[in-house]
Amino acid sequence: MAITDYAIPASRLHRAFRDQGIDAVTTVPDLIQFALHDALKRDEGVKYIECAAENQALTTAMGLYVGGMSPMVMMQNQGLLNCLNTLRSVGIDAQIPLVLCVGAFGREFANLGQPLADSSRACVSLVEPVMAAMELPFFHLETEADLPKLEDAFDTAKTKQRAAIVHLGFYPSWT
Amino acid sequence: MSIHTLEACFVISKMRRDNTIIVHTMSAMPLISALTPSPLNIASVPLMGGASGIGLGLAIAQPDRKVVVLDGDASLLMELGGMAQIGDQAPANLIHIVFNNGTQFQGIANLDRPGGANFDFCAVAKASGYATTNRFTSVPELVAGGPDLIGSAGPHFVELEVSAAPKFTRESPQPEMPAMQFGRMGAEARAMMEALGVSK
Repeated sequence: MAITDYAIPASRLHRAFRDQGIDAVTTVPDLIQFALHDALKRDEGVKYIECAAENQALTTAMGLYVGGMSPMVMMQNQGLLNCLNTLRSVGIDAQIPLVLCVGAFGREFANLGQPLADSSRACVSLVEPVMAAMELPFFHLETEADLPKLEDAFDTAKTKQRAAIVHLGFYPSWT
Repeated sequence: MSIHTLEACFVISKMRRDNTIIVHTMSAMPLISALTPSPLNIASVPLMGGASGIGLGLAIAQPDRKVVVLDGDASLLMELGGMAQIGDQAPANLIHIVFNNGTQFQGIANLDRPGGANFDFCAVAKASGYATTNRFTSVPELVAGGPDLIGSAGPHFVELEVSAAPKFTRESPQPEMPAMQFGRMGAEARAMMEALGVSK
């Protein structure tokens, strides 16, 4: 496969998240997700909130959710590892079913199409096992064919009443 | 001069209107819950630093209600960047009150918090873009200045100079953390959603 085959069009991701009823985004912007950030920020139907740190992205999303909105949270893998305790409190103890879209910052191109566990970069290889240790559902999107997993992520979060992770393995394309 | 936490919570409970949401944490938590119980209360627990973010989200989602955040000083320091977020979003219905007692684990161990007595929370709030900042050091000041904030457009920031409670001693040992502490925030979130008419 060509490298570009791993780039899911941002427009498809944008539509898929909107189809899940998303009307707000809280985020610490992610190097991987620039095209998706751009699409969501330009969407007038989405309240887009830039946060100083990932903990605040989670707590602000919780407030939006309790207040009746349908937020998603965007961050990169380093940010996810930065906010594990808040994720525990909000997404497990408080049972707030937030969906986090997390980009695989630092993933080497040689790992594309291979298991994340085989990445030589700890910020890539450790994310899935850490989420497994926290018993948080994890949905990895490697190519466009994986997009149906996004709906599964929202359904699982709602059913299990806990946070779920949508993991983007590569840069979405600007289309 | 300073304010006792109980006095501060009592005055704030009297400032509250029927539709006011209160997000609370740290030293204000047990007192505000007892003085003004309501399904529109939610405790950020166990989640030090989370109150201002939860309050910001609620203020955006519920623009017709006042949202009062009762924060701790060490708790706010932990997520100080959240003040820039509040300044960015500028929710007019948000009042962010920090109980500044200069300690961490006040009433338990009274450890010093970073920044010391000279850390200027109001200066940070002003630089972040809050509409107003006030520092109250006595009950009369809070009684005189607090209620107007409920009726006017914010976001408002209030620093209360609060006295720290005596710490635990050998004769008054630290209690066990109850299981309820871990399920409380979620239970209160669900109660608040029901009170707000939010269905998911």
